[in-house]
Amino acid sequence: MALRRAGKGDDAFMKRIAFLPALFFVLVLFSTATAFGQVQTRIRAIEASNVGFGIDPSLRDVHRELGSLFSFTSYRLLRDETLNLLPNQTVLIQGHHPGRFMEVTLVGLRRNVATLRIRVIREGVVILNTEIRLFPGRTVLIGGPRRGEAVVIFAVSAHF
Amino acid sequence: MGKYFDQEANEKEKLLIEGHLQDCSPCRDALRSMGELKALLKVPVEEALQKEDFPWVWQKIEKEIRLQKRLKWWQSLHSWFDVSTLFRRRVWIPAAATFIVLLLITAQIIFKRTPSYAGASVVEYLDSPTYNVMVYQSEEPNVTVIWLFEGPEKGTTPS
Repeated sequence: MALRRAGKGDDAFMKRIAFLPALFFVLVLFSTATAFGQVQTRIRAIEASNVGFGIDPSLRDVHRELGSLFSFTSYRLLRDETLNLLPNQTVLIQGHHPGRFMEVTLVGLRRNVATLRIRVIREGVVILNTEIRLFPGRTVLIGGPRRGEAVVIFAVSAHF
Repeated sequence: MGKYFDQEANEKEKLLIEGHLQDCSPCRDALRSMGELKALLKVPVEEALQKEDFPWVWQKIEKEIRLQKRLKWWQSLHSWFDVSTLFRRRVWIPAAATFIVLLLITAQIIFKRTPSYAGASVVEYLDSPTYNVMVYQSEEPNVTVIWLFEGPEKGTTPS
């Protein structure tokens, strides 16, 4: 069997072109490795009250939910936090008053479900402890903590 | 002795060895043997060297160097993205195969991570040691509410 050698130009071109899929593959692996297992969690602290009227323009996406579920006349955004959580990573968010915290832990991540453990802490005491399964793009509202005459509602959503 | 034979010895060493050679016949014999061996090797090596055409080989090398003229950076960049050879069959078949394999690998990852908006959020558990809590699941809009019935704050000023 005779062996045919590729031309000099072909060899050079093959060497050049071989690097392109290799580079693409490395980039895909890198981006997957960094993004995989990470959940982008958005937590918004909303002050809901019957003092005044109106809704914060930055709450347009949850306006319908808030309006249909609650009878407050005013909704104001207090805080907007976006966290990139890794499995078993706990993030502590300073609350609307000193001594108030929200502790968020990503306890599980499956195909389209992220499980978050959320604890609301007041003066070192856990006043709310919950674990929620969150789908991408869905919002869970955690409300009730007082802020003077108003209440605070936390809108928790995740993207992954 | 080897250093002396190769003419690498300094003046002091030369004098020392030459003085020694006058009184030592085994060393004189050894030196003579080395000379004979050198002569024996020198002849065929020189013959071989005469047969070789070194200038011709060097000319060939120089010609190759001249051919590989240095490209400017944009010319070099352009050559990396030159796709004319892509249309050759021996290139596009393995290239297409590689592309399909990469597509299959990446598609699995991409489609696995596509979010599904069908499911509603689920409260796995809920607990408050101090206050009453409630879970409310609204179907339209599809939203889950966890409500903590916290009493009025102590020592805080109403906003």
